[in-house]
Amino acid sequence: MTMLSLTNELGTVLQLFMRSLETGSVYALAALGIIIIYRTSNIVHFAQGSLGMFNTFVVTYVFLSFRLPLWASTLCGVAAAIGLGFLVDLLIIRHTKKVSPLAKQIITLGLIMVFLGLAPMLFGVDPLSLPRFLQSGDVNFGGASISHNAILNISLGLVLMGILFYVLQKTKMGLAVRTTASNEPVARLMGVPTRRVTLAAWALAGVLGCLSGVMIAPTTTVTTSLMDAVQVNALFGCVLGGFQTFYGPVLGAYIIGVGRNFLVYYVSSIWGEQIMYLLILIFLIFRPNGLIGKKFIKKV
Amino acid sequence: MVEPLMDLTLAPQTTTRTLAEDDALRVERLSISFGGLRAVDDLSFAVKKKEIFGLIGPNGAGKTTVFNCITQFYRPDEGNVFFRTGKGDGVVNLVGRPVHSIIGLGLVRTFQNVEVIQELSLLENVLIGAHIDFKATIFEQAFKLPRARREERLFQKKAEEALAFLGIIDRRDLLAGGQPYGVLKKVELARTLMANPRLIILDEPAAGLNDSETHELASTIRQIRDAYDCTILLVEHDMRLVMGVCDRICAISFGKFLACDVPEGIKRNKLVQEAYLGEEEA
Amino acid sequence: MNDLSSPFTNAKPALWRNAYLRFVLFGLLIATLPLFSSLGLMKSSTLNYIGNVLVYAVAALGLNLLLGYAGLISLGTAGFMGLGSYIAAYIVKDMGMSFWAALVAAVLIPTLIGLLIGLISLRIEGIYLAIATLCVSEILLKSFEQADSITGGMQGKSVSYPVVFGHAFNRSSTYLMLVVVLTLVMMLTHSFVNGQKGRALHAMRGSEVAAQAMGVNLLQYRLIAFSLATAYSALSGVLYVFFVKFSYPSVWNMNLSLYVLAAVVIGGLRSIYGTVIGTFVVWAVPDLILKNLPVVGGINGLPYIFNGILIIVVVMFAPQGISGLWPLKKKKKRQQVPQQVPPSGKEAG
Repeated sequence: MTMLSLTNELGTVLQLFMRSLETGSVYALAALGIIIIYRTSNIVHFAQGSLGMFNTFVVTYVFLSFRLPLWASTLCGVAAAIGLGFLVDLLIIRHTKKVSPLAKQIITLGLIMVFLGLAPMLFGVDPLSLPRFLQSGDVNFGGASISHNAILNISLGLVLMGILFYVLQKTKMGLAVRTTASNEPVARLMGVPTRRVTLAAWALAGVLGCLSGVMIAPTTTVTTSLMDAVQVNALFGCVLGGFQTFYGPVLGAYIIGVGRNFLVYYVSSIWGEQIMYLLILIFLIFRPNGLIGKKFIKKV
Repeated sequence: MVEPLMDLTLAPQTTTRTLAEDDALRVERLSISFGGLRAVDDLSFAVKKKEIFGLIGPNGAGKTTVFNCITQFYRPDEGNVFFRTGKGDGVVNLVGRPVHSIIGLGLVRTFQNVEVIQELSLLENVLIGAHIDFKATIFEQAFKLPRARREERLFQKKAEEALAFLGIIDRRDLLAGGQPYGVLKKVELARTLMANPRLIILDEPAAGLNDSETHELASTIRQIRDAYDCTILLVEHDMRLVMGVCDRICAISFGKFLACDVPEGIKRNKLVQEAYLGEEEA
Repeated sequence: MNDLSSPFTNAKPALWRNAYLRFVLFGLLIATLPLFSSLGLMKSSTLNYIGNVLVYAVAALGLNLLLGYAGLISLGTAGFMGLGSYIAAYIVKDMGMSFWAALVAAVLIPTLIGLLIGLISLRIEGIYLAIATLCVSEILLKSFEQADSITGGMQGKSVSYPVVFGHAFNRSSTYLMLVVVLTLVMMLTHSFVNGQKGRALHAMRGSEVAAQAMGVNLLQYRLIAFSLATAYSALSGVLYVFFVKFSYPSVWNMNLSLYVLAAVVIGGLRSIYGTVIGTFVVWAVPDLILKNLPVVGGINGLPYIFNGILIIVVVMFAPQGISGLWPLKKKKKRQQVPQQVPPSGKEAG
């Protein structure tokens, strides 16, 4: 192998890696939303993607109809996400205290259908398109070329998650979230405002979903199936990382982002993604509770 | 306080590795911890064939945990549970066996909070006790082939006998949901009878029963032992029931062995009195 | 054999009390619908909708076994239906083999795959099955699009009406075949859930600890429920491809799985008739009724909103679904026995 081809190869690997970090950020933001809901409401949130899809439609609609700048449109989407998050919790989740976890899971599946219907009802059936934040500009290093927009997305993901983990670990609010997550009834008895924590969690999950939607939208068109892959990959990030910690799913999501791109590039452009899903299923045989999972003891 | 306990526990562990001739079950040096807390601590006792044996202790003494360790709902950290199976004289160590395989060995249990299926009739609930005796395959059952029908009839008759034995046959087709607690307790008992038990473990059978029901229960337990020719091990809070019905009693406190004796002996035992006094002061 | 007959049951129950006879009557009832169509009392397209409902009802009955008894969710219904449809089409069309060979292979292969998925995911917590099946259906959907040589790729795969025992079926006879299969499936499901295995599933749902103590191997019974759900889905896919005569990848997406789930939840868990009616509500009501309403009828996405809201409302306020409204449901068993004279006790004094 010549020196040139080796540097080319390194450049390709680096470029793939950076691109994976970008998709990984999208999955990680969505996964973080799912795990926050799981830990505070004990619900596997299958509608995270659908909510994100709907809010991305809001962003796109505002952007195209009112010709607001993209950042302002995104703020509108974030506001819509917070509002919808509140609505979902106030109207539905809050009234399901006595409902089994299974039934709550079914409710999120019902939510998927609601948003799947609401999006074309409000925004029409034609696919829309959303531009990138930074239209042009590339950075070259080590033979890899990375767009400014990708760097923005990667940093945005990392900064957002940095802030969230800081808040979770170091602030009183974070403590409230963590106590709610570990034992909701006890936390309530101890005076933790668990209702407000849950309400905030749904709003936050909505915002994270909306941002991941806005990030992924420029790579495709805005349709009702915009977030299907994100939802699946985010859920698999949670499975891979384990449902017991906040950071496990984020880690899992990044691993999936990287693994997916490398498998698609080096193994098979058609079957790469499926191979990755199979690998994760096989991984589960050996580590059923994920990378960072603990085992539960069931009481009789 | 610790020293005399050591002496008492030393006695059983020096006996043979398997079961003595007339023993139905022997728990040997059983220990289990939950997050550093020793719920059962080096406990040993033996239950004789056809005996009604009581396990007592103050609240939180670990009685139900012992039951869960015997029936393998919990995997004990240390120790053995030797059990004489079926009609023969085979002796097995229960530790490490899958929970659902225990009933097949002839050991069947009830639960502290009655565990019956609300949406099924009493008869259907009792039929679940015969689960492992059905041989028909899923296809034979779906297509109602002769063997499936025959088995269904056979076990239905057996279940009716069990319900009749416990005096609740007139309710056989009623749903379990909404039945009085005392009836549900009997359904659980009837369900254990379906499994041709060698040893029945009753977890607080009198909990939630009124005086007359408790009184009736005592005679029912004796009748079951005689009619079904089995051994009975029970955990109970109600001292009158325990003292009245048990042949021998083992007392434990904080997971540790206190004494094992006939009811009169347990009543007089200093350690047992202290353990229960401690509870009342608290 | 006489000595085995129960001394406690009365004389034979009245004929109409026989559950199997009622299934047959139900089947006869829906079998007469083409008659209305040929008399001009019902639009021909309506019959297609009803036929689809019968097809989907089979898958819904399977999912009901899984969800209603094992308390597990599968999002792989559509994937396994699609797999069944493509295998059946491939065997009949490309391999030129008989309808029966197609039926057996198209049900068996997906079931075996389902068994494997179940073995992996069910050893862990219940939620993993939903996620694993979601992933499997993604894999299957991609495969339907990519495996051109078998599935026809994006163009889809077409077959003709089935040829059974040398008789080439037309639309009406295929419709009758759907009715017969659905009725049989309902009967078999009824026998199954009321037998020993069904009781074990009941026990598992009602109390896991009691089920285990009675010798029920939880993993084994979760697998049984999941395999049955998969087999029913695959069968439903086979029926679909022979009735609709086409199989496209876009049919077998996640939304179809959600529809089937909606049918089960809305119809009522553990209710056979409820499931069939639920399927009708989920598929036929939006298409046959809502679409024709003034003003709202033209709204895009209305069927989704209708079914989505219905699911949420049912889960929150009417967990038994439509079967809870069923006027005759197990009334016999609910009747109270006259209270017995209480045994003399202290509470009397």
